Amino acid sequence: MWNMLLAFKNLDPMNWEVIKPTLKFLWQGLLAIFVVIALIIIAVKLTSFVIAKCEEYKKKKAENQNPDNDVSN
Amino acid sequence: MDFLLQGFKALTWQQPVMWLIGGLLIFLAIKKDMEPALLLPMGFGAILVNLPLSPVISEDPEHLGILASLFKVGISASEAMPLLLFIGIGCMIDFGPLLTNPKLFLLGGAAQLGIFITIILAAMLGFPLNDAASIGIIGAADGPTAILVAQQVASNYLGPIMVVAYSYMALVPIVQPAVVKMCTTKKERLIKMKYSAKQVSRLTRILFPIIVSVISGLIAPDSLSLVGMLMFGNLLRECGVLGSLSETAQTTFSNIITLLLGITIAFQMQGSDFLAIETLLIMALGLFAFVFDTIGGVMCAKFMNLFSKEKINPMLGAAGISAFPMAARVVEKMGVKEDTSNHLLMHAVGANVSGQIASAIVGGLILGILF
Repeated sequence: MWNMLLAFKNLDPMNWEVIKPTLKFLWQGLLAIFVVIALIIIAVKLTSFVIAKCEEYKKKKAENQNPDNDVSN
Repeated sequence: MDFLLQGFKALTWQQPVMWLIGGLLIFLAIKKDMEPALLLPMGFGAILVNLPLSPVISEDPEHLGILASLFKVGISASEAMPLLLFIGIGCMIDFGPLLTNPKLFLLGGAAQLGIFITIILAAMLGFPLNDAASIGIIGAADGPTAILVAQQVASNYLGPIMVVAYSYMALVPIVQPAVVKMCTTKKERLIKMKYSAKQVSRLTRILFPIIVSVISGLIAPDSLSLVGMLMFGNLLRECGVLGSLSETAQTTFSNIITLLLGITIAFQMQGSDFLAIETLLIMALGLFAFVFDTIGGVMCAKFMNLFSKEKINPMLGAAGISAFPMAARVVEKMGVKEDTSNHLLMHAVGANVSGQIASAIVGGLILGILF
């Protein structure tokens, strides 16, 4: 197999100098993608939480300002 | 009468072969409905650029051919075409299912595994690092990302990479089910998941593209052109005040860019460069990338099941690749095939759109690591 590949003038199979940096791609790439994803998940959860709290607060405030509405409802 | 024979005399053996390949792409587009918006212009372009003495590929500055010119302006100089296409794609995507269940984002990340494994394999086979990186990115299952990375790393195989990337995207329904079945048990495939259609607030939907752009820009700055355009498109969609612009970006704008992109890529399909044994290797490596992407996604779902109370159907991992919405449809079909009441579509769409973002980020990360 390798001999066959060696026959192709443009290819240089099993060259450790080329293979070594690709291992860096693997660990750095996977680490970075999961760090980005973790941060996005945290940011989304945080945003949703803050927005939900704000809406809850607004609702409560509106209820306190118009207590009659609750009675009528 | 010699002038009538000029074309015949200049004919090389590679050119008729490329006409056949062009014809095959047109056949697949029309008869099999495989990515017709892209494969048809590519197929016709392949015929155009492989006609002897074709003026469309002339690189003479005084008589620059139309395809040479489009390639220089739209792809080579600025990568404008694939990036502009991302605006349209961003407009088409509804991130609602992902925002409802953000942990599905992990599946999108894991389904990029094939990219990195393929880069290693391509390097082992003897491809230089820049070519290995651009071959690996076929596993992103995302045409614009593959074009951008291959172009930026000055890969010698842009033409084959494009053809392979788009062909395999169309082959997702054939490749993925076999791999998913190989990696999962019947019991796992029968796992049912509840979908609670929680209302995602408009503000969250508007903030999401901005948050993703900022985080990607800070950690993987090279991914910003791709992620930024994708998220800009999504902001157009979600802002709610640019309805007509959003609709135009999803339809007319995307169609025009896709059409131009398809025929422009054909510039790289000149027989003398395209017909090499490396092209066959790239085809094999592309398939390898898709298979390992699917395995990565499925295994991640299985791993998540070890820790979560509500089990995830591992088939969802397969939807973590970027081929949108095909991968999600494949998972839905497989789920229904196992159990007619097991609908996984909304979860699969969540994983699928996360793959769209993850693949763009990985494209940028690879550029960042390489340079």
